[in-house]
Amino acid sequence: MSLATASLGRARVDLLDPLEASRLGGLEVLTQGVVEGFLTGLHRSPRRGFSVEFAEHRMYQPGDELRYVDWKILGRNDRLYVKQFEEETNLRAMLVCDTSRSMAWTGDPEHVLPKLAYAQRLVAALALVLLRQRDATGLITFDDQVRSITPARARMTHWRQLLRVLDGLTPGQGTAAEPALRRVVDLLRRRGLVVFVSDLLLDRVLALRALQFLRHRGHQVMVFHIMDPAELTLRGPAEARFEDPETGSSVILRPKDWAAVYQQRVEGVIAEWERDCRRHDIHYHRVTTDTPFGIALRHALARSAGFA
Amino acid sequence: MIGFLHPWLLAGLAAAGVPLLLHLIARRDPPTVEFPAVRYLMDVTREHSRRLKLRNWLLLLLRTLLIAVLVLAAAGPSAAIRQAGSHGPTALVVILDDSPSSGAIVDGTPRLTELRAAARHVLERATPEDALWLLAADGVPRRGDGPALIALVDSLKPSSLRLDIGAALNVAGGILAVDKRPGAITLISDVQASAVSPAAIRVPLLVIRPDAPATPNSGIARLDPGPQPWTTDGGAVSVTVTGDSGRTVPVSVRLGEHLHRQALAAIGGSATFSLPGIPAGWWPLRAELDPDELRTDDERIVAVRVAPVARVSCPRNDRFLQAACDVLLRNGRIQAGSDVTLGTLGEGASVVFPPDDPAELGALNRALARRGVRWAYGALAPSAATTDSGALIGREPVTRRYTLVRLEKEDTLGGVRGVVATAGGTPWIVRDANVVLLGSRLDPAWTGLPLSARFMPFVDALLNRLARGEVQLLNGAPGAPVMLPDLITQVVEGGRRWPVEGGAAFRPPVPGLYFLLAGVDTAGVLAVNIDPRESRLAMAPDAQLRQLWPTASISGLRASGEMAYTGAGRADLRGLFLWSALLLGVMEVAVASGGGRAE
Repeated sequence: MSLATASLGRARVDLLDPLEASRLGGLEVLTQGVVEGFLTGLHRSPRRGFSVEFAEHRMYQPGDELRYVDWKILGRNDRLYVKQFEEETNLRAMLVCDTSRSMAWTGDPEHVLPKLAYAQRLVAALALVLLRQRDATGLITFDDQVRSITPARARMTHWRQLLRVLDGLTPGQGTAAEPALRRVVDLLRRRGLVVFVSDLLLDRVLALRALQFLRHRGHQVMVFHIMDPAELTLRGPAEARFEDPETGSSVILRPKDWAAVYQQRVEGVIAEWERDCRRHDIHYHRVTTDTPFGIALRHALARSAGFA
Repeated sequence: MIGFLHPWLLAGLAAAGVPLLLHLIARRDPPTVEFPAVRYLMDVTREHSRRLKLRNWLLLLLRTLLIAVLVLAAAGPSAAIRQAGSHGPTALVVILDDSPSSGAIVDGTPRLTELRAAARHVLERATPEDALWLLAADGVPRRGDGPALIALVDSLKPSSLRLDIGAALNVAGGILAVDKRPGAITLISDVQASAVSPAAIRVPLLVIRPDAPATPNSGIARLDPGPQPWTTDGGAVSVTVTGDSGRTVPVSVRLGEHLHRQALAAIGGSATFSLPGIPAGWWPLRAELDPDELRTDDERIVAVRVAPVARVSCPRNDRFLQAACDVLLRNGRIQAGSDVTLGTLGEGASVVFPPDDPAELGALNRALARRGVRWAYGALAPSAATTDSGALIGREPVTRRYTLVRLEKEDTLGGVRGVVATAGGTPWIVRDANVVLLGSRLDPAWTGLPLSARFMPFVDALLNRLARGEVQLLNGAPGAPVMLPDLITQVVEGGRRWPVEGGAAFRPPVPGLYFLLAGVDTAGVLAVNIDPRESRLAMAPDAQLRQLWPTASISGLRASGEMAYTGAGRADLRGLFLWSALLLGVMEVAVASGGGRAE
């Protein structure tokens, strides 16, 4: 038993400080610990569908597709029965993760995880939860273009593939969410769940338009707005040049002079996102990177329960 | 005009540039901070930058002003005020001109009476916090409180000392420079044009002068009794008259108590009097004008020495000296005799030249030593020289000369006693006791003097004055230093005596004749008269005064009561500056904290 495993056995890892929790082990171990600590059980979808796992027979009724007629029973009993199958997955989920340069930033490297590291662990935990529910789960990563696409699968082994993708994430440069969200439409042909994880330092109009489009296609959309605590307030030397790591644009100012209006502006941006998301029935969650993973998952699971 | 108690602290005004300097330094190289949410910052700076820029400049201005005002307050500012009786502590020098011209009578009143009244008016306004000095023509600054100086002012009478106003202002400026209180000078004077001169003063100066000039005056500028001594046959006297107009005035001269002559002289011109012979001795010679508004310059006095001419034993083998003796004999300036031996060392008074033959020099030096002469001939000077200009002789070439060596150590008073004339900076004619030594023979092979027009007067002075131990008559003004001849040990005027050291300066206090004694013998006379410039009473125009003294404000005697302390009355501005600093500080805090509020 590894140290991480031992630690996981003693405490609710999902409620630990994210940075502390991330020190307990790699992405897989951590995520398992988080999910096991948090998850109380799987649920099964009451809906029946036509999938690979046989459920029961019933009498043929006019209008049933002939391909589901059980010809063997017809041969033995001369009666028309059709086969019903239990759906292996009751949901298809696509996780969309922002890997732009701004996501690699942390205001306090000693005490707070970078936003990308936090997003990696959150996405891995979400994927594990969904897969355990037998929900097919896929992953799209993007920065200024789509970097990787992992189609949705329901097998548990698929989680390790997702972990490999998440493990290999490196921060890109800019942020362009719209192409990635548009790709979701191609990958989710039926109604499903789209989880968008990003710091939302992007073109808000384009991103909202893409999210709105997904809603119109019948998908449930969930937005995790990942924020570093240091982004909520403006601090720094008496006077400094503040430089955007993505665009290189900069501004020279005295934080003391601008802290108040900056905080006001950030709160305004968050309020705008909340308002716009609510208007389009998109679930918006603001998560700071010092929030324990379990809290963030509770938001997600509470929402996903709505899909059950 | 604002003045400062500690003006050197104004150097701290440079600190007012610190906020700007810090601003520029901070602006030049701010640290770079990576921050992803710069877009939010850019949004807000676009909206608020104008207001914040204005606020920052306002803060910079307030902080700069705050420092400047604090520094100014520390320097002790004060400002001139015009309210009567409310001046701040002031260091005030009152210069009261009691020079001879102040004795002029104007409208039946001595000018000095008016000036004294004006001075009293100034001093009566003094407060115990003021530092007061009174400076009169004697040049001695007297410190005291108001009543003491008023008493001093009341005791002043027209002085015989001339007041150089420029010099007095400089003295006053020097006094005020060491006092921390705001300084001012009040000059109460008849501002004679001949008495004003430039002065470097930086403090306010109030000039209180009469509204109208005095009546035109005349005075005796010069009384010249000609070459001394006179023989018993008499002599000629020249009198020069000075004053404010070109009119003609009667001049009279009186030798002793009896001999009297009168003539007319134009102001600026001279009158010459020929006086008959009188017995040998020292005689006072007076020149007088009719009384006018200024009495002190209506008489001038000198002394005339009347003595029989010297009886001289002239050398027979020196053609130039022989010729000179012949001329002087024919003109009665000398007689043949043995009182003075010319050329060699005789029994009595002697004028000694170096011998032609250098081999005789040793014997001559030994003979001089036996006579108690403390000088001797040394080696031949290596190069030619020129006599240094002096009263006895002008500049004459000297091609050959012996150095003259003093045998005794010099006294501690400095200078070489007994030196009458020098050539090339070294003694050329010296006198000790009744022996005069010349470094050169009076021969064209040694000096160009025998070929000069000055030769005859030179030989005359050599025989009648130098050889007989008499010195020239000296002239001086009251209070002005006069360098006394070397042998003088005592100065006598009337019943007063001053023991003196020959070669030192002597300041005669009042006009008169001062006899110069060498031991018990009268060796000369110092004639002291007031400065002839005092006779010109014309006032300097106000424009000239303002040009000479840029800080001056000028007032008449009647207005002096209102304006005397205008320059000196100053209000302490420290409180005002400190309140201003407090107000600026409050404004700074308000602006600085106001900028941090969310809007």
